[in-house]
Amino acid sequence: MKINRFNKSLLNTDWFTGWLFLSPFLLLWVYWFFFPLLQSVGRSFQSVDLLKIDQATFNGITNYINVFKNPEFLQALKNSFLIVAIAVPVQTVLALVSAMAVNVPLPGRVVFRTLFSIPYITSPIAVTTVFMVLFRKGNVLVTLLSKLGFPDKTWYADIHLALPFIMLVYIWRNIGFYMIIYLAGLQDIPKELYEAATVDGADELAKFRHITVPMLKNVTFFVVTLGIISAFQIFDEVAAISRYGALGSPAGTTSTLVTYFYQYGIRYRDIGHGSAAVIIFFFIILAFTAIQKRIVKPL
Amino acid sequence: MKPLKIIRIYLVLFVLGLLFALPFCYAIYTSLLQMKDVDKIVKLSQLTLENYIHLFSSKEYALRRWYTNSIIMTAIIVTGNVVINSMAAFALAKLKFKGQKVVSFIVVATLMIPYYIILMPVYIKMAQLGWLNTFRALTVPYLTQCIYIFLLRQFFVTIPEELLDASRIDGLSKAGSFFYIIVPLSKPAFISMIILNFTGTWNSYIIPSTMTSKQDMYVLVVGLNSLKDQFFERTNIVMTGVVITTISVVILFLFLQKYYVQGLSQSGIKG
Repeated sequence: MKINRFNKSLLNTDWFTGWLFLSPFLLLWVYWFFFPLLQSVGRSFQSVDLLKIDQATFNGITNYINVFKNPEFLQALKNSFLIVAIAVPVQTVLALVSAMAVNVPLPGRVVFRTLFSIPYITSPIAVTTVFMVLFRKGNVLVTLLSKLGFPDKTWYADIHLALPFIMLVYIWRNIGFYMIIYLAGLQDIPKELYEAATVDGADELAKFRHITVPMLKNVTFFVVTLGIISAFQIFDEVAAISRYGALGSPAGTTSTLVTYFYQYGIRYRDIGHGSAAVIIFFFIILAFTAIQKRIVKPL
Repeated sequence: MKPLKIIRIYLVLFVLGLLFALPFCYAIYTSLLQMKDVDKIVKLSQLTLENYIHLFSSKEYALRRWYTNSIIMTAIIVTGNVVINSMAAFALAKLKFKGQKVVSFIVVATLMIPYYIILMPVYIKMAQLGWLNTFRALTVPYLTQCIYIFLLRQFFVTIPEELLDASRIDGLSKAGSFFYIIVPLSKPAFISMIILNFTGTWNSYIIPSTMTSKQDMYVLVVGLNSLKDQFFERTNIVMTGVVITTISVVILFLFLQKYYVQGLSQSGIKG
């Protein structure tokens, strides 16, 4: 009898419980994600000032044309692609190397694994702050590096060294994250494969080339595509070094797609221009996300 | 294993370890120095906690306020995410109803959209509502995040249906089976989610710095950035700020790293 009573209760139907449980998420999502998304798209076709939102006028694709005509945007685009082209391969290789080193059952490896993972959980602003102090002219590190042929300058304030500085900070902070993903991948490779290869007389390099690399193909694919998508979204590190100047200082040499839209949309209050820039940014990311989507298991 | 190989591996570990540890050691060491000793090697007896005391007690910095703000913001967001995401994930993982597929699609599609794209409209909305410089602007839109719905859902689907069927025979409603069966069984997934959500929120910069302009409403990371801009030459003070900002997450991580690793590898990303 008791069971019968529960069967009639609304809380025992899938549809009522389902929508009830989804409602907080859906309400927040519609109001704070979906509507803003539509507004972003809409405003990218308008001329609109942040302080006079109500006086927006439709101006077609003018914003998009202006964005592409702006040399500052082209520089930001170039910087973003440079960061992706350099940071992603470097962090991927270092992540794989550290994952392989930590994966060998040796005493102390847990300590190293922990140490390698910590940078990623710390704040980019805090990390950049430490690196700014370390790479300041007069610091021991800069003096040492100048002996190796690097200029004896404050890295983040120099137009040639600022972007490499950003990449350095970014790579340093991200290796641990990708290492953990690689580590999970390495642990999925059956031990028998290596044992069989040893029996066949394969050396370490052959095992790496013919077992590790092919078995990690999917993981590497994921690490690279996620790495690309994340590297495009870099912001905090750049914001941290822009002390007195505009975002992307010195002289725009560290501006990225994200700092560009932020500079125009929020700082210069040109919402239309900023929105167009962020939509362009979105489509660049989307191209890479579309590739990644293939391996993230769909719901 | 050949001794040569072991030496090679340790060499790699130590070199990388040094690169990772150095900036942290530098920050901690400098935070214990007086200004005149910065970038010098000093005796152990000359190390001092003065900077910490100074930062926390001096009226010159609003550090205590920033710390409290970070704790409040993080607590609200993590609580919201635990409750709202787990309910949504349960509905998507363990129930069957019309429209479910659409919501699943929404969750995945949202994952693909970088948050920056809606930053300006959200900022404008906050200004219109008069919410800028309040905790509402820092927390309300982020009370639920699709990545964690996805993560929890991945875990919930692995819980056997038989357990839920059995609970229903014992008289639990569908909603009841969520609270009495799913939640207690999903502790590891919840801990993974909490640690990822906690670190993400604690370290976030672009949103809090956009939504707050009053010093009193800064969170720790935004405060640290302004501290750095203002007092960059006082390296020991700035490094103390760095240590204070990072230490909380690092301690949390050290205790819960097992779950952190699980969380990353469980989110459906393994090959």
